[in-house]
Amino acid sequence: MSKIIEIQDLSFAYPGEEVRALNHINLDVEEGEFLVLCGKSGCGKSTLLTHLKTPITPHGKRKGEILFYGQRLSDMENRVQAQRIGYVLQNPDNQIVTDKVWHELAFGLESLGYSTPDIRIRVAEMASYFGIQDWFYKNVAELSGGQKQLLNLASIMAMHPDLLVLDEPTSQLDPIAASDFLETVKKINRDLGTTIIITEHRLEEVFPSADRVVVMDHGSVYAVGTPTKIGQVLRDDNHEMFLAMPVPMQIYARTRTETDLECPVTVRDGRKWLEEVCRERNISPAPSGRPSFSHKEEETEKAVLLEARDLWFRYDKDLPDVVKGASLKLYQGEFYCLMGGNGTGKSTTLSLISRLRKPYRGKINLGGTDLRKYKDADLFRGLLGVLPQNPQALFVKKTVRDELFEMIGGSKEKKNDEYHIAMDKSQAVDGIVEVCHLDGLLHRHPYDLSGGEQQRLALAKILLLRPRLLLMDEPTKGLDSYFKQEFAEILHLLQEQGVTIFMISHDIEFCAAYGDRCGLFFDGSIAAEGSPREFFAGNNFYTTAANRMGRKYFPEAVTGKDVIACLKQ
Amino acid sequence: MRDTFSTYHPFLNMLFFAGVIGITMFVTHPFILGISLASGIAYSALLRGIRKTIRNNLIFTLPVMIIAAAINPMFNHYGVTILGYLSNGNPFTLESCVYGLIMALMLAGVITWFSCYTEVMTSDKFIYLFGRIIPALSLVLSMALRFVPRFSRQAGVIANGQRCVGRSTSNGSLIKRAKHGITIFSILVTWALENAIDTADSMKCRGYGEKGRTAFAIFTFDRRDGKCLAFMLAVLGLLIYGASQGYTFSRYNPRIVVEGWPLTPGSALVFGSFLAFSMLPVVLELADRRMWKKRRLTVERQETVGYRLWDIDYE
Repeated sequence: MSKIIEIQDLSFAYPGEEVRALNHINLDVEEGEFLVLCGKSGCGKSTLLTHLKTPITPHGKRKGEILFYGQRLSDMENRVQAQRIGYVLQNPDNQIVTDKVWHELAFGLESLGYSTPDIRIRVAEMASYFGIQDWFYKNVAELSGGQKQLLNLASIMAMHPDLLVLDEPTSQLDPIAASDFLETVKKINRDLGTTIIITEHRLEEVFPSADRVVVMDHGSVYAVGTPTKIGQVLRDDNHEMFLAMPVPMQIYARTRTETDLECPVTVRDGRKWLEEVCRERNISPAPSGRPSFSHKEEETEKAVLLEARDLWFRYDKDLPDVVKGASLKLYQGEFYCLMGGNGTGKSTTLSLISRLRKPYRGKINLGGTDLRKYKDADLFRGLLGVLPQNPQALFVKKTVRDELFEMIGGSKEKKNDEYHIAMDKSQAVDGIVEVCHLDGLLHRHPYDLSGGEQQRLALAKILLLRPRLLLMDEPTKGLDSYFKQEFAEILHLLQEQGVTIFMISHDIEFCAAYGDRCGLFFDGSIAAEGSPREFFAGNNFYTTAANRMGRKYFPEAVTGKDVIACLKQ
Repeated sequence: MRDTFSTYHPFLNMLFFAGVIGITMFVTHPFILGISLASGIAYSALLRGIRKTIRNNLIFTLPVMIIAAAINPMFNHYGVTILGYLSNGNPFTLESCVYGLIMALMLAGVITWFSCYTEVMTSDKFIYLFGRIIPALSLVLSMALRFVPRFSRQAGVIANGQRCVGRSTSNGSLIKRAKHGITIFSILVTWALENAIDTADSMKCRGYGEKGRTAFAIFTFDRRDGKCLAFMLAVLGLLIYGASQGYTFSRYNPRIVVEGWPLTPGSALVFGSFLAFSMLPVVLELADRRMWKKRRLTVERQETVGYRLWDIDYE
């Protein structure tokens, strides 16, 4: 098979930076291959991807060559490149140019000067292949995030590229839309033989169909190989990248076994592997039936911070109810995770608790007082902190430092109505910087930070208001596993200082690992709740990968760590 | 629901509205204006429903008509038939009264037709037509239409985020509110500029900026459009010919002169062709509705036969 991309000794440094973002990279990509690029964020994988498309390659010092079918990429005309190399970016909204779905599909072909009849055929083809015909005439503003990203993919596929480059395409999507999208990418690879190069956080979704995986570390290629082989390499080196690997691989890596079975990639393989291991160690399957738990009484001892009783809400008189009799209790100092599908009313419930919207029936009590009776200033300064889903909604200033001081009324040590505690302002800011791991970033522009860093800055700003209850809407969206872990550590620290945390999330694994209590929101109210262990162990589908893998033997093991611990005993 | 005339080629839609609104604005013959207003109301009733049309006309159009009709004789004093004198000594004439009424009719007609125009000429049609003339403009318009809903949505998100740190625009002192409003706006602008970089990348990636860009459109000019265009042009030709011959001459200064009544062959030609032109969408829509009613009847008849067979089976 011929090589579609050859990267020959590529090095690159951003202007004014000493450290190279890419360091002597050598990589060949075969035609029709499905290549997954992974690594810690900031390892240079996005920079490498932008090098595959000349118009968006960043400026800087560069050495080495990239060949596309043996031809130097930098010599290729943009017209040819636009057609043959497709590039999908991270944010679904930003990539869409026009206002109508059909116009967006035709955009690339218009640029290349195709005639109307030709475009009509291509657009019809794409709309049929991607199942877009139902929303063909819609305004793009009416589409969901998943549909938007699918539209971006379709409008690039309309140009019939040979190579499709995707830079974390699902980081802004919910799990269902993300797996739909990735299925479509796999289908394109299978049906059309289009070469795929993708970076992705959801490795468990892409690993099963990846031909090869490239692990990058500090700007260079760390390992290349099949997913199974990568699993072995990372285990042998005990590499930190292992955190990001799918759960079955992690469990495999942390368990010493006699059998020389291959590293499992999917849950299905993981179950098989676990069966072997358990046979070897004489572990018998757990008795079937719902596991029972006995520690229910503890909860009642803690003080209740927030109590919501029978909340009802709808957006308009004629619209259906979104929240239907939801009740909720948050105890002092706990970490509560609310999960559930899209459009079940989770976010609306959050907006009721944060008083952005008012329920038409029901009551919310915060710290013993009716939520409605608080003044805005008292509520949001010192009691309730709300971390917006998009951290950029809080950024006002040019540097991170200014950003933090802005929150408490400027850097002058003068008491004002925005800041009235005894501690010095600079001391408060220093403390927050330490808690949120922002040191070293203080002089950067907020928009130049990575997603995880932006999230931490937003959190720091909220924390400067010293909330007792922290509300968050999908804070782990788009974060990779390191940032998630770091974020979890920060949350743990806050909890120790008595902050109560309430979070909405689609991220089952995160909630299982770090939450104190989890709830499932369905049809306008909380359908089930409990500690992660009892909550997930009782579910069959809505549960973690580790639990799905090990439930036959260890029904109460919820995280990868639990399964590993069980195997060690 | 889309009406039939909206499904014709955008060029025909545009030609129709340009024609009918142009004639209404520049012709002062009462019959022509009457026909225009009547068919405009009829079309509006089909497009937006009878109740909405009536409400709109009573609330908005009628006051405009009354004001126009009342104001003209107050300020214009031409004409030979003096009915009396105003308190400031100026004459109050029959001619200016009648002309006020004509103006009222004209305004009502134009307003009604514009209300139909907004229903029929959707943004994509408008963009398509202008894209034919200036291709770059059509893309700019399309992008602008994409940005407006995006911005307003993002502004809401930002306002909520700011409200949750105690900075709302809905309470506090006026200066504070204004300050918070400016903060929100500043965040919005930064956000827009930062995210526009992505959009630019996405455009470059898809070959924007290469020479020879074409403009794709989903509209096709088919035979039906051709026939309709021929009809419209023929009718308009007759109308212009008749009008240029002075068959429907009208003048209100200094003396009222309105030709064409009682009907002469010439004026009948002009009125007839204008009626045919302005009622075109209404006729098309009614014909279409009739066709569907008939179809539904046949389908129902077929279904009844089927049900009967089933009934026999059950018994």
